[in-house]
Amino acid sequence: MVGNRYLNALWALTLSTLLPAEDLGEMWGSAKEEAKYYPIVNIPIPPEVPMRTGSFEILPDGRLAVGTRRGDIYFVKGAFDSPPTPDYHLFASGQDEIFGLAWKNGAMTATQFGEVTRISDTDGDGVADRYDTLSNNWGYAEGHEFAFGSKHDPEGNIWVALGLSGSYKSHNLFRGWAVKVTPDGKMIPVCSGLRSPGGVGPNAEGVMFSIESQGPWNGCCSLKHLKQGGFLGHPASYNWYPFVPGMDTPAVEPNTPSRLQVEKKRVKELVPPAVRFPYIKMGRSISGFRLNQTGGKFGPFENQIFLGDYTLSIILRATTEEINGVWQGACYPFREGLASGIMHVEFSPQGQLIAGGFTTNRQWPVRGTEPFALQRIDWTGLMPFEIKEINIAKDGFLINFTKPVDPSIAARTEVYNITTYTHKFSAGYGSPEVDQTTAKVTKAIPSADGLSVNVHLEKIIEGHIHDFDLTTMKSMEGGTLLHTKAYYTVNEIPKN
Amino acid sequence: MTKIVRLITLRTMLYFSVVPVALAQPIIPGLVSSELDPKLKGLVLIEELNCVACHQSAEPFAARSKKAPRLSAVGSRVNPTYLEAFISDPHETKPGTTMPDVLIQLDKEERKQVAKSLTHFLLSLKKNDFSLQPPDAVAAEHGEHLFRSRGCVACHSPRNEAGTELLQESSVPLGALEKKYSVKSLVDFLRHPHSSRPSGRMPDLRLQGNDAERIAHYLLRDTRVPGPLAYKMYRGQVWEGLESAKVEAERAGQVRDFALASLGRVHHQTAVEYQGWLKIPQQGSYTFYLQMNGGSLHVNGKQLVLENPSNRRGPKRMQASTELPAGWRKIELTYFHTGRDPKFSFELEGPQFKRQAIPSSMLSVSEHPIPAFEPLVVDPALAARGRKHFGILGCAKCHDDLRIPSKSGPAFATLDPGKGCLSEAPGKWPRFNLNGKQRQLIAKALPGVEQERLNERQQLEKALVTFNCIACHDRSGLGGIAPERNANFSGTREALGNQGRLPPPLSHVGAKLKPEWIAEVLLRGKRQREYLDASMPQFGEANVGHLVNLFAKVDKLEAVTIPKIANIKESKSAGYEMMGTTGFSCIACHDFNGQKAGGAGALDIVHVTDRLQKNWFHLYMRNPARFHSTVIMPSYWPGGQSIRPNLLKGDTAQQIEALWTYLLDGPRAKKPKGLSRQSAEIRVTDVAEIARGRGTAGYRGIGVGYPEGINLAFDSEEMALRQLWKGDFASVNHGSFRARGGERISFPPGIPFHRLKSMDDNWPYKGKSNYTFPHDHGYQFRGYHLDALRRPTFLYHYGEVTVEDLFEDVPGKDGKAWFKRTFRFETPGAQKPFYFRAASGKKITAQVDREFVIDQLQLRITSDHKGVVREGDPGEVLIPLTLPKGRSTLTLEYRW
Repeated sequence: MVGNRYLNALWALTLSTLLPAEDLGEMWGSAKEEAKYYPIVNIPIPPEVPMRTGSFEILPDGRLAVGTRRGDIYFVKGAFDSPPTPDYHLFASGQDEIFGLAWKNGAMTATQFGEVTRISDTDGDGVADRYDTLSNNWGYAEGHEFAFGSKHDPEGNIWVALGLSGSYKSHNLFRGWAVKVTPDGKMIPVCSGLRSPGGVGPNAEGVMFSIESQGPWNGCCSLKHLKQGGFLGHPASYNWYPFVPGMDTPAVEPNTPSRLQVEKKRVKELVPPAVRFPYIKMGRSISGFRLNQTGGKFGPFENQIFLGDYTLSIILRATTEEINGVWQGACYPFREGLASGIMHVEFSPQGQLIAGGFTTNRQWPVRGTEPFALQRIDWTGLMPFEIKEINIAKDGFLINFTKPVDPSIAARTEVYNITTYTHKFSAGYGSPEVDQTTAKVTKAIPSADGLSVNVHLEKIIEGHIHDFDLTTMKSMEGGTLLHTKAYYTVNEIPKN
Repeated sequence: MTKIVRLITLRTMLYFSVVPVALAQPIIPGLVSSELDPKLKGLVLIEELNCVACHQSAEPFAARSKKAPRLSAVGSRVNPTYLEAFISDPHETKPGTTMPDVLIQLDKEERKQVAKSLTHFLLSLKKNDFSLQPPDAVAAEHGEHLFRSRGCVACHSPRNEAGTELLQESSVPLGALEKKYSVKSLVDFLRHPHSSRPSGRMPDLRLQGNDAERIAHYLLRDTRVPGPLAYKMYRGQVWEGLESAKVEAERAGQVRDFALASLGRVHHQTAVEYQGWLKIPQQGSYTFYLQMNGGSLHVNGKQLVLENPSNRRGPKRMQASTELPAGWRKIELTYFHTGRDPKFSFELEGPQFKRQAIPSSMLSVSEHPIPAFEPLVVDPALAARGRKHFGILGCAKCHDDLRIPSKSGPAFATLDPGKGCLSEAPGKWPRFNLNGKQRQLIAKALPGVEQERLNERQQLEKALVTFNCIACHDRSGLGGIAPERNANFSGTREALGNQGRLPPPLSHVGAKLKPEWIAEVLLRGKRQREYLDASMPQFGEANVGHLVNLFAKVDKLEAVTIPKIANIKESKSAGYEMMGTTGFSCIACHDFNGQKAGGAGALDIVHVTDRLQKNWFHLYMRNPARFHSTVIMPSYWPGGQSIRPNLLKGDTAQQIEALWTYLLDGPRAKKPKGLSRQSAEIRVTDVAEIARGRGTAGYRGIGVGYPEGINLAFDSEEMALRQLWKGDFASVNHGSFRARGGERISFPPGIPFHRLKSMDDNWPYKGKSNYTFPHDHGYQFRGYHLDALRRPTFLYHYGEVTVEDLFEDVPGKDGKAWFKRTFRFETPGAQKPFYFRAASGKKITAQVDREFVIDQLQLRITSDHKGVVREGDPGEVLIPLTLPKGRSTLTLEYRW
C-alpha cells in the first residue's frame, strides 16, 4: 500500500524536535590528550566467557577476580601483563548477580542480590564447593532491589547498600538502608535514606561511603557517607527504624521541595552527600569506586577515589575531607572513551586501574558500545598537568596541581572562574541546578613551589557546589590543564 | 458473463501473468540437471508420465510410477474455471505439466463441451467449499522469504519481484496459482500434500506456525477479490513513523468499513493504513469529521488532514471539507491507535448526505468492478456426460482413485517409439508435448526396459533423480545443487560458511550415517542442523522408505582398523581432554549438548555417535577435507601425526577412538573444559548445575539441574522445595532463572517445619508484610556445599536444629529418574515435636502410612517415620518429627 511517503518525510523533518534521540551529553573531548598519560588497554575476553563485570577483587597470588551479573566468579591470570595475556578460570558459578567481592582468609566473600556468601574451595581442586550464607536477612522480593557490597572493613565486616524497591519505594525490610554483615553472620543496620546505591567502600581515612544515583531526593549522583545512625536523604526507608534496636525513627521528615542546607537543620539525622557530581558534566549513573593506594604507581593521585560511570563510559576522581565533623569534597574528570558501561574499578598490584562493566539492550542507554568489556588504564609515567585536589579553607580554597603553575598567571584572579549552584532537595526526580551565583575571587596566592594556589573568595556559599573552570591556567612549562574543571561540594565552611 | 468470454478473459489474464513459453514439454527437473544414465532417464520419464497406467505390462516394472492427483476433492481444492481451462488445454494453461492433453483430437467446440462436462463431473463428486480469500500482503512478504529459504525454490522456480519465474526450464511448473487455488485450499494442500498427490513428488515441508499461510499468501498475492476497503496494519512505536525500525507490519487484507471493531482486535500502538475508492453520489462539498490521535486523510488526490501522532496525548477532533465530483474517488486514510485513550471515528457529510460513518456500500477496493467468485452449480446431466468422458478418454487410467472403468491402450511390450503418444503427430492419443530429447530417451529405454532388473546403485540413483534429492544435496557422479539455485540456500550461522547454509552432501552417505539415523531423517524429519533455513521435507515412507537400505548397500568406503582399547577409563579421559579448550578445543566451534559454542556454532557434538558410523568417524577425523572440499574443520592429525603427542602416546587411531568412546556417553559425557557460558540456556551434562536468583522459586531461588535429567527449585528464603521438573534444566538471564523441561510438580509456599497449634492451624508462609519471616520462626539459611557430582546439600537452622538437606538423583529401572531426599538433623537437646510438610495437593491418597500419591507425585518415606494426611484444599502430607538429642535422619523418595 502507498500513501505515507510524504507523511513520513514530513515527520522526518519534525521528529528531531518532537523526539530527540536520547542525548547522553557532550563528550569532554579530552580523550586524545588523556591517552598520552593514561592509555586504555583492552583485556581480551574469550568468546565463551560472558564477562558482565559486577565487581572486582585482587587475589593474594596477584590474579584478578571478577564477579559477574551472570553470577559467576572468574580468576584471571595475566590480566596485568603488557600486553595482557589473560587466562580465565571459572572459580564459582550459579550465583545471583554479584556486586561485591572481597577475599579474606582463603575464601571469597561475595555480595549478591539476596545475601552475603562466603565461597570457598575445600578440596583444593581450584573450584568452589562451599557456599556459606553469612546473612540473607534483608528483604528481597521486588525488581531493582540491588545489593552492593564492600570489601572487609578492619573488623572483618562487609558493608552492604540496599537499593529501594523498584528504586522508588521501600516495601521490603531494610530497602534503602546500608547494613553491615559481621564475620559470624550478624546483620547490623547502619543508616537509612539511600535510593539506588552503587559501589560501597572506604576513603583514605577508612570511612565508608556509597555511591548514590540521581532521582527522587537526589538532585544528582553523589558519594554519600554511610554514617552510623545517619539518614542519607530519601525518607522511603523510615519504616524500618522499628526493626532496629537502639535507633529511633527521626522526629521529622524532610520537606519538599527544599534545600539540603535547610533540611539538615530540621532533620538532625540528615547527612548531606559528601561529593555531588553535577549531572551529565560529571556522569549520569556513577558506579563502583576504589581508593588509589598504589604508592604512586598510578601517578600523582594517591589516596584519591576513582570511580566509573555506567552511562557515559568514563572514569572520574573524587577527594574527601572532614570539615566540622561532616564529610565533603570534590570531583574531577579523569578519562573518557571506555568501551562499555562501567560498573566497577579496581587497582592492580602493578598500579593499573582495571575497569569493567556491560551494556544492556533494553534497560539503560550507554555511550560505550560493547556488550561487555574488561579494560585497563595504565600510567605511562608522564606527568599530566591536572588539578590534583581542591581543599576548602575558611576564606576560600586551596587548589593543588600536579605540576608547578606559572606564578604570574596563577596570581591573576580572573584565571579562576568559579560559579556556584545547588540542587533542589525534593521528592521529585532529580533537579536542575538552582540558586546560581558567581563567586568573586579576591586574591590568588601561588605557593613558593607553584604546586598550589590559595584562592580567596569574597564569600563561600554553604550547601553549594563550587564549579571551577581554570581554562586559562598555565603550567610553568606553558602547558594548559588536561582537564580544566573541578566541582567542590560545600557542606560546611571551616570555622578557622 | 458467458463462458466463452470467461475463457477468453482467463486466457488473456494468463497471458499477462505467466510469460508465454515456447518450451512446454513436461518438466522433470532431475532429468535436466542430473548425470543419470540416459537409459535410466528414459525409465524415469516412463514412470513420471505413468505410461504403465494405460500400457500395461506383464512384468513387475515401473511399479513406483507417479500417480496422478487424487480428484475426489478437487472441487474444494481448485477453482472450477481453472479446472475447465486446464482440462481443455493443459499445456497452455500450465506449461511444463506432465498431464497430457487428451482432447487434442476434438474440434474446438467439442473440446469446450467435453472440458465443461468433465468439470461438472469432478465437482459432482463431493460437496465443494471452494471460495476466494483476499491475499494478505504482509503475510505474503514473509511468504516470499519462506518460499526462498525453506527450499521451495530448489524444485520450483525462483521468481523476480513481478512474480516472473526465472528458471522455468529446470523447475516443476506452478502455473498461475492465483487462478487455481484459494488461500485456504493452497494452505490445505501445503499442509497435507500427499492426500491429493500420494506419490510424494511434492514433499511435505512440515511447515510450522503460520508458514503455510504465509507461503500461500505469497503465491496467491495476485488474487483479486471484491470488497469495500483494503487495509494494512502496523504495530510498534508507530508514533515514530511507519518506516521506523521499531514498527512492524502485522497484517493486511480487506475490511468492510472504517469502524475499528471491524478489524478484530486492535492493540495499543497500532497504525492502520486504509485504501479504497469512495462512491460520491453527487457533486458537491463534502466534509470529513475525524477523531483520532494522529494520521492523514487523502481524498481524490488531495491531502485533507495531516496530524502527527503522539504517544503522550489523547485523540484530537478535526474536520476538513473539499469539493468532490460524483463517481468513484480514491480515499486513503492512515490512523494511529496510540497515546492516551485511543479513539477513532470517521464520518462524512455532504449534499443530501447526513453526517454519518461511510457505509460499506459506498466503498470499494477498486474503481473498476472485480467479479466475485461464483461457485459452479453442477448440472447433473452434464456431470453424467463428463463421467462417461472420464472413462472413454482414459482420464480414469491415471486418476484411478475414482475407480471408473476405462479401456487400456496397447500393451507396453508392443509399443513403437515412432507411434502414438511418442510420435509428434496428433491423433487419438493423449498429447504429452514431449520434446525430441525426451522422445529419444524413451525410445532408448523402450527395448527391454520391462525385463531389465536394476541393480542397487541404479535403483538408488533413479530415486534420487525422481524425487529431485539432488536439487538440495550433492552426490558425486549424479548431480547436485545447481549453481543458479545455490544462492537461494541460507542459514543462520554465517561463520560456518557453505556448511551453515547448504544441506549436507549425500556422497558416501550410506557409509557415513547409521541406517537408523537415515531413517529418522528421511522418514521422520529429524534434523541436527537447526541453523539451515531449509529443512528436510518428507516424501512419505511408502515412496522413499526403500532408500534407507539402498544407501547402506551402495555406499562403501574402505574399512579402518579400529584399535583395541586397553583401558576404557584412560581412553574416555583422553577424549575429554581433547574436547576441551586445553585440548583440540572442539567446543570452540561445536555446540555441546545444546550449550552454544562461543564461536562458529557448528553441529552439536554430543549426538555424533548416534548418527555416524564409527568407521566413517575415523576416516573423517583423519582428513575432513576429503569429504567436504570447503570444510572449515581442520585436521588434528595432519599426515596421520597427532598434534597432541602427549595424549595416548600420540597414537592417532587411539586418539580418534578415545574421542568416540568419550562421545558414546552422549549428553552425559563429562562436561568439557572451557564450555561456553554465553548461552541463556544451561544444560546439564555429567555434573549438577546451579542457577540462583529470581524466577521459578521466588527471589532467593536456587535451581539445580541433575545429571539424571531431573531438576528442582529450592527457595532459600523459606528453605523449602518449590518445584520439581524433568528434561531441560533452565534458562538464565542475569540474576534470574526459569525452569525449562516439563512434567512439573509444584509445592506451596511456606516453611518446611512447623509446630501446628492444632490441626486447623494455618501453615505459615511469607506474605507481603511479615517482613522478618521466616527468621522470626527460628529459621536461618546457611548456604550449601557440593558433593563430587556438584549436587548441593542445603544447610539451615530451624531453632536449635541444624538441618542438612540433600537431594540425590537416582536412575530408575524404568528409565525414569527420581529424587532421594535425606535430612540430617543435629540438635543440642531433645526437641518438642513438630511437623515436616512433605507435600500438598488437591488429591491425596495414602497407600500405607509411608506411601502417598499427591496428584502426580508419589512420595515414599524410607526412614522410620510415618506420614499423616491433613485434609483441606489443598490437603497436605505431614510427617511428625520428634528429634532426639544429637543426630537423626529422615529419608524420602519423590517420583513423578
